[in-house]
Parts: sequence; structure tokens; C-alpha cells
Amino acid sequence: MDLHILDHRLKVTSICKDGLVVFTHPLIKLIFLRNRTRCKFFSLTETPENYTVVLDEEGFKELPPSEHLLVEDSTWLPLNVVSNGHASSSSQAVGVTKIAKSVIAPLAEQHVSVFMLSTYQTDFILVREKDLSVVIRTLEEEFNIYREVGGECVPFRSQDIRNGFQKNAKITVHPVLSPLNKFLVMSLDPDTLPAIATTLIDVLFYSSRFPANLLFTSSSQELWRMVRIGGQPLGFDECGIVAQISQPLADSDISAYYISTFSFDHALVPEEDIDSVISLLQQQRHDPSQV
Amino acid sequence: MSGPKPDILWSPHHVDRYVICDSELSLYRIESLGSTEAKAGAVPLSEETAATLLAINSDTPYMKCVAWYPKHEPECLLAVGQANGRVVLTSLGQSHNSKCKELMGKEFVPKHARQCNTLAWNPVDSNWLAAGLDKHRADFSVLIWDISSKFTPEASVPAEKIRLSSGDTDSGVVVTKPLYELGQNDACLSLCWLPRDQKLLLAGMHRNLAIFDLRNTSQKMFVNTKAIQGVTVDPYFHDRVASFFEGQVAIWDLRKFEKPVLTLSEQPKPLTKVAWCPTRTGLLATLMRDSDVVRLYDMQHTPTPIGDETEPTIIERCVQPCETIIGSFAWHPSAQNRMVVVSPNRGMTDFTVFERISLAWSSGTSLVWACGRHLYECSEECGAGAAAAAERDVATKMRERAQSRYGHDTVQVWKNHVLAGGNDPQLKSLWYTLHYILHDHHRYYIIQCFPYFFGNKQPLLYSGIKNIVKSSTSGTTESRRCWSGSERPAEVVRYLSEERGLALQLCGWIRCGPDINVEPFLKSLEQEGEWERAAAVALFNLDIRRAIQILHKGASFDKGDLNLNVVAMALSGYTDEKSSLWREMCSSLRLQLSNPYLCVMFAFLTSEPGAYDGVLYESRVAVRDRVAFACMFLSDSQLPRYIDKLTNEMKEAGNLEGILLTGLTKDGVDLMESYVDRTGDVQTASFCMLKGSSGEVLKDPRVQCWIENYRNLLDAWSFWHKRAEFDIHRSKLDPSSKPLAQVFVSCNFCGKSISYSCSSMPHQGRGFSQYGVSGSPTKSKVTSCPGCRKPLPRCALCLMNMGTPVSSCPGTGKSDEKVDLSKDKKLAQFNNWFTWCHNCRHGGHAGHMLNWFSDHSECPVSACTCRCMQLDTTGNLVPSDSS
Repeated sequence: MDLHILDHRLKVTSICKDGLVVFTHPLIKLIFLRNRTRCKFFSLTETPENYTVVLDEEGFKELPPSEHLLVEDSTWLPLNVVSNGHASSSSQAVGVTKIAKSVIAPLAEQHVSVFMLSTYQTDFILVREKDLSVVIRTLEEEFNIYREVGGECVPFRSQDIRNGFQKNAKITVHPVLSPLNKFLVMSLDPDTLPAIATTLIDVLFYSSRFPANLLFTSSSQELWRMVRIGGQPLGFDECGIVAQISQPLADSDISAYYISTFSFDHALVPEEDIDSVISLLQQQRHDPSQV
Repeated sequence: MSGPKPDILWSPHHVDRYVICDSELSLYRIESLGSTEAKAGAVPLSEETAATLLAINSDTPYMKCVAWYPKHEPECLLAVGQANGRVVLTSLGQSHNSKCKELMGKEFVPKHARQCNTLAWNPVDSNWLAAGLDKHRADFSVLIWDISSKFTPEASVPAEKIRLSSGDTDSGVVVTKPLYELGQNDACLSLCWLPRDQKLLLAGMHRNLAIFDLRNTSQKMFVNTKAIQGVTVDPYFHDRVASFFEGQVAIWDLRKFEKPVLTLSEQPKPLTKVAWCPTRTGLLATLMRDSDVVRLYDMQHTPTPIGDETEPTIIERCVQPCETIIGSFAWHPSAQNRMVVVSPNRGMTDFTVFERISLAWSSGTSLVWACGRHLYECSEECGAGAAAAAERDVATKMRERAQSRYGHDTVQVWKNHVLAGGNDPQLKSLWYTLHYILHDHHRYYIIQCFPYFFGNKQPLLYSGIKNIVKSSTSGTTESRRCWSGSERPAEVVRYLSEERGLALQLCGWIRCGPDINVEPFLKSLEQEGEWERAAAVALFNLDIRRAIQILHKGASFDKGDLNLNVVAMALSGYTDEKSSLWREMCSSLRLQLSNPYLCVMFAFLTSEPGAYDGVLYESRVAVRDRVAFACMFLSDSQLPRYIDKLTNEMKEAGNLEGILLTGLTKDGVDLMESYVDRTGDVQTASFCMLKGSSGEVLKDPRVQCWIENYRNLLDAWSFWHKRAEFDIHRSKLDPSSKPLAQVFVSCNFCGKSISYSCSSMPHQGRGFSQYGVSGSPTKSKVTSCPGCRKPLPRCALCLMNMGTPVSSCPGTGKSDEKVDLSKDKKLAQFNNWFTWCHNCRHGGHAGHMLNWFSDHSECPVSACTCRCMQLDTTGNLVPSDSS
């Protein structure tokens, strides 16, 4: 399997609900007028608490400084696992589950904090730039690591810097919460984006109702339920959060999307599996020694 | 919102049908306008063709890509890839046979919805349809569907999952199980089946080009690259593939897949389509976004297989089929170089790319050019007669002249103009000039009379009249001479000096030496029947009676012009009375005389002393006569000016008569340059400049260039003997051109050069000549190396050592040999030379080898199987000038 270090330097920011009006213009520009900005990576997640915006440095320049904008200090690098066609197709599980054992768990052991962004197409694992050498040393056993430079993949060798593994930190087990609403995961043909731009703008900035029959639906018609992780805002320094969720799911071969936001983490699991997931996680919370 | 860009597809089997697809599919038929004049509804595509809309299909929304079924039946079956990844079979037109009906509306649905980027039917197993999809994190991006596969029961899908797909099942059969799934967790942007094997599929994936082998799906060959869009195989060269990224096209050789064999120059905007021309090898058309031209890359000259280092040459050009921006284009599958282009607003144009014309001159007179698949040849018509001869191509002339040994007569130099055919007045003048310049007597005379020329830096040996006149140091004497034979003495000033005398000699008017009598010249002119010219020369020498006599002679001569009598009568009435009627009439009526010499005679008689423009600027009069006239009658101040003016005129016109003025000097080279520019006659230029063997002229790069070109020309005509003759001739006249020894014979044992050791050891008294090349037969033959005394190689046929002259029949006794040896000349003959095969290193006397190989192709050495003769590619060529 190949691990690609993508050529983006990302910032993780948060816009609070009240401050959205300040950012409407740059956000519309970033979402709909892609040829007007040099931003190559953009992600917007709305949660009841706030809007989490992950974007590269070019895109970050578009956001005006404001009291409503919270920025995590570090620069993050997105990693992407490419199966290269050799993956065993026996496991039907998708997304974060697939990489739980090979990426998430080893990184958690090395105390690397990760920020997960699952999309319809792929899963991005964001790590801090300063952790990169540890990440590479940890993963180079199992992956061919490529760094993308100017669009070309070049094999990446770690400079053999060993700055001592960090001591074991205590792993906090976070409470989980599962709201009742159901989620549909979709992808959108970029060419149709202009056609639905007005609707999307309305949904994003003015109302909260998502109109029906707007997007193509998946042929498998899966619906997803969400598990929210964390009672308190999780912060960015703690490691092992993704691992403690993905590990049990991987053990049970349950697909999941995992989306980290500024405050909390969210996992999407198939609705038919929600009960077993909840029970799995609750069991884990009663018996933390399993982690 | 901008609508989808229209694309265009030719029917693979109906050469007159194509489909335009944007939001719907429209089938058009193309026909020539001649047959259906202004048919209603026909859209004109070009001046000759129009298209008729046959059918429209708007059943399939969200169309992303379309592929036409590759087989004849069912025709008009199309696969449409949609934005949600579904592939729908649909058709256009009326053909609804049973098989087609069965397939119509069949849908192939991927597990996870995402855009379908590309479709490709397998050209051999046409049931296989490959679809390339966008990336999904848990799904495959290349799905190969079997269109004949039966309905897959939806029951295999959990019941609750089809909740939202209520509208799906009404339209037909839905297939959800692909035959093959490839490229997990990747995106596929372009696909094509490889003609090498029906189970090989080339796919442009997210960051690499991959070749999937369906015989073993776990194996794939891939190369990381950005150029992954629009993969397409060259229909004429199945290992050649084009793909592109943004504005750059990469050409791949599948046998050497690591990197592109070449990348075409990058365009400022992204490309939208790249297609090989199906009717012509190596022609690739590319279309840039928002462009109104189709850019063509002609890879005809690309060597195949493409080498590692050699960058193949590509001819790039643009064609503009229509005025508007081009949305898409498609090559016609069979009509040569034809394409239809469609603009974004569906305007269509039928267009044929005009073939490049390549042209080649032969070394002879024919011209060949190629256009498309046609080859045209144009060769010279061989007309007879002098007029045709003058009109002929210079190459023909040069060929004939080379065969008649033109330029090789070094004794009677003037004869070369006869060898050249004798009908070119300029060449005649040139060779006479050279004859006079190079004449021994003349040179002797110069050295005798003008010793100061040689003390001077500028030798006049090869100079023309221009330099001679300029160098004038001795005083000019003016003599007022009377008309000889005329009763009324008229005074005309005539100038005399040694230089003027020399100039007159070069003009041919007087002989060498101190004698200034023109009578011999007049006699020779009379002999040649040049009556008018002779009369004019006589007149200019102030002998009016002789002039009249010549004219009489000319008139009474067989077939003579009786008008000459009339002219003689007019001449005899000459008077120097300024206001006489004779003078008045002559000066006006002379212009009506057709013969230039008669004309200048009267001009001379009627002009004021010292103002002879009527004579000097009569261009029909030979330059040498005008110059001679000027030398006699122009003053020291007028003469150089006139000569300079005339020289420049000649130089500009490239008139070889001007060599008289310039001589074989730098000026002469300038003149010859404009002559060569005008005629291309490098032959005359080479021979002429070789005669003037003054180093300065021969070193001129232009002269060297003419000589080299002439040699190449002889080579191209296969005139190798003439080439050799020319080289010998050249080395005689220009010793510096003699080539240095290029081949040395070295001893097998000590490695020393045999010839070298001879020349370096003169005390041994042996020259190279003794090694069988030439030399005295009385001296002992050298059959061993002079360095180490080991024997020289033996001839494979006569088994004699090198250095032994060849005997007429190998193996006979010494008596024969002695007979041969007694013939001194024979030793130098080519037969005695030694020659080797460069491959097996066997050889012997050239004569023996020639004999042997005239009926053998294998080496004469019994154990050797080398086919020496076949290795010698030039050995089978026959010179065209062999005599």
C-alpha cells in the first residue's frame, strides 16, 4: 500500500455561528468560485456548535481576521492511503475502518495526534507538520511513502532523525453520543455545482432545510447514523481518540466515516449497525482496559 | 450555467453518419451537396457537403460520455455514461431488431454513485464495456460490464437498500454485478483497450497510467505520471499511445513504458481532445480549450522503434476549420484526413486537412513531390535544337559537359567552350579570356615587360584589365593619327601605353609581343564570318578602307548579306565636316541598324572626339570589343572610370564576359558568385577558379564551396570516374587540395607502418613504390616488413607475399613473372595492389580478388565462410560514367 503526503499545508479553523455573516463572502468564493482562488483544499463542516473550516494557506489568506475566527496554531499535512489496487477485497468495510489497524493505531501508539476527514471519495488523515518525521518512521515499514511535489509523486525517504519516543500518556476515554437523525453521504459532479449553487448557498447561510431530490443518490441507498465523541471540546493535542473508536469498529468489520471538527469528533456508521456500535463503545467505556 | 460541451462521434461503420452529444444525442447523416441540392432541413457543413438530422435521443439525462458499439450489428447502439456512474445502453434511429431491443435501456449500476468519466467497448469481444469512474473510498473505479449478462435479481441487495430507488426499475434491466472490478480506491479518467491483446486495458488513473491484464487481474503494469487524460492508441502503431495533462501531450511506447518517449510542446490552455488520425500514420490532432484551431503533430519521421537519445522530429502545424471556437472534433474513419468539427453552439463544419507537400529535386532534372498518397513527378522535356538546348536545365547541361570533359583542356584553354557545347557566348568569352590570361607567351611577355609587377605586392598574372589599367605607371602617349587610306585626313586622338597594349592583348585584338598589328585578328574574324565585327575593328583601327573591303567581302560571300554593300557605300561617304548632311543622316539613321557593330561604326564616325558613349554603352557589342575600344580612345582619366563602371555592371549581372575585366581575383569571385546565383552552374565556376591557382582566390570559401558542390554533384550522378578525374585535375592546379595519406599498412607482427618505415628510413633505399605499387623491377622485391623482417601477408589466391607483382595466371613459373616485370608500367597497375576484407581480414592482390568475386560471394580462404562481397555495399554499384 502507498501512503501519499499531499502537497497542501492546512490550517484548521473554526467560525462560530454568530460570526458566519462576516465570512459569507470568502466562503462563497472558496466553495463556488474555485477558479478565483488559489485554494486547493477546502472543507467545511457544520455542527450545532460551530463551523469547522479546514483549508490550505492560500485559502486561509481569504479569511479576514475576526474575533469569531478561531485558528489552531499548527500547520497540518494531509495523508492519503492509496491501496494501489492490491488491497484484498475480502473486507467490505470502508473508510476509516480499513486503515484503523495500519495507520490509526500505530500513530496513536506513537502519540501522534490526528485529525480525520472522511469524504465520499477517500479519507484524509491530517497530521501536524512537526510530527511528520515520527509519522514517516512509524509508517514506512508498511507503506511506500510518496510525497507529492508540484503534482508529481516522488518517493520519500525519512531523514533518520530519532528524537526519542514520547512517554506513554494516559488515554482518556471519551463519552459517546448518538443523535437520532440519519445521514446520507453523497458526492457531486463538479460540473453541476453551478446549477445548485443558489440552493446550496441558501442551505449553508440562510436556512437549515436541505431540499429533497437535489442530489444524485447512491444506488446502494445506504443511510448512516452518527456517533459524536467527546463531552468536552477535545482539543488538538490528545492522541488516540480516533483509534479508540476505529479499533473496535475494525474488529467488527463495520464501515465508518470519521469527521473531526474543531470541538468534537464524529463517526458515521451504517444505520443497521448503530446498535452494535453503541453497545461496543459503551462496553469499552465500562472496561477501558481493552484499549 | 454553461451547458455541456458538445462532443462528436463518427459511426464506426457508416461513413456518412455521426452523432453529436451534448444534453441529448443527435444523429446526422452527411451527404454531398451535388446530389441533394438545397434539401430542406440540411445544414451546410462545407461548400460540398451538408448534414441532415436523422434522429434525436433525449432519454438519457446527465450524460457524461458516450461510446459507439464497435460491431456492425446492432448498428447505432450507444452506451452512455451518466453523472451518477450508471451506464445506459440506448440507440438512435429506427433499426430495432430483436437483439437491439433486448439491450435497449439496459443499465449497469456501480455500487457507489459517482461520475462516469469514460467508456470503452472492447473492439474484439464487443460484449465487454469498460467504464471509468471517479474515486470512491471503498469502490473500484474501472468496471467492466458484460452487456449480454442477464438480469441480476435485485434480491441479492438487501431489501431496505432499494428503498430510495423506486424510479429505477421501470426502464429496463439493471445489472449491478460487473464482470471485472479494477482500480480500487482510485479514480479513472480515461480508458482504451489495447489492440495487442483483447484482454489488455489501458487506463488513465488518478496519478498513473495502468495497464490491466484481465487474464490475471492481480497484475498490473503502471507508471506514475500526470498525463492520464485521453489515452488513445495509435491505430497504425499499436505500441504507441498518446495521453495528456492540462496543455501537454505525452507519447508513450508501451514496450518502454517507464517514461514518455516524447512530450509535445505545452499549450497555454488545457487540452480537451487528442486523437490519432485513422487514415494516416503518425498524425495526431489536439484541441485546446476555447481555441479556434486544431493543432496537428506529424510524426511521420519518427523513427520506430524510437531510440533512447534521438529526439524524433515532429512537424507541428495548425489548421483552422471554421471561424468560431471549436467545441470538439472527430476524424472521419475512412475518408483521408477528413474531420468534422462542432462549435459549442452546435455549428458544424466538414473539413479536410490539407496534406503537407514535400518536395525533392533529383540530382538530375526531375522534381518529385508527394501529397497525401500521391506522388507526382515532373521531368524535363527533351526538346531538340539549339533553342531547346539553351532553355535546358543547368543540371542537364552540366551532366553533358562533364561527359564531354569540359574544363579539362588545359593546353588550349579556349577549346573548353567548344566542349561545353559552343553555343553560349558568355562561356566562349570566358574561356577565351582565360586562354589569353593563361597563355604562356602572354605570361612570359608580362614578366618580360612588367618586371615591376612582381616586385609589387599585386601580381598581375591573373589580373583582369581593371587592375592592369589601374596599375598604369608608364606614361601614356597621345598620338593623333590620320585615317589610313582616307583622302581627307581626320585627326582622332588615340592613346598608347604598355598597359593599354597588354589590355588589347587580353581582349584578343592583338597578338602577344610588341607587335600591335590587328591584321591577324581581322583575318580570323573574316574566317569565322563575323564581317560586321571585323569591319568595326578595322574602323576603330582607323583603317576605313580595310573596313569597306571587309564589308564587300562579306556581301559577296556565299549567302552573304547584300546590305553590307550598302553599308560599305555609306561608309565610304564619310566626312568629318561637322554640319554635313552625311553626318546628320548617319547619326539619326544608325539607330535603325539591327546589327550592333554596324551601329557602333557610325556612332564612332559621327561622335565628337573623346565622347564615344554611343560605342561604349552599346550593350549588344561584346564586352571585349568595347573594352579594347576604350583602351584605345579613352584618356587616362576616362578609362578607369569606364572600366570600373563596366566591371560593376558585369558583377551585378553575373556576366562572365566581365572576367576579362576582373581576372581571377577577388573581384572575379564576386562576379562568379552572382553568375552562380543566377545559373547554378558550379561546374564552370569550379573549373574557372581552379585555373586561377593563386592561393588567395582558391582559399575563398565561396570557391571551395563551388568545388565541393561540384564534386558532390558528380557523386550524386554516379560519375565517379569524372569525380576522380576532376580531383586529379584539381590537385594538379591546386597542390594544397591533395589529400594526405589516409590509409597506412601496418605490419601484422611489429605493428609498424610499412610505408612509414620506408619513408623514415631513406638510407635503406626503399620507397613505398617497391611494395608492389610502382618502382623499378630490377630492384629486389620487398616481401617482408622493413621493421621486423617478418613476411608480409600472402595473397589468398596466388599465395605470394604482398609486394610480389601479380602474375597473369597465379601459380605459374617465374618466367611469366619476369615477362610481367619487364613491363615497367604494369607494376603500377591496380591489379598489383593489395586489398582486404574488413570483416574476415583475408585478401590479396586486387586483380585476383576482383576475378574471384566476379563469380563468388564467399571469401577465397577455404575455411572462411565470410561473405565478403555482400558486405561491400558499394561493390555492387556501377558508375554511370563508366567507359
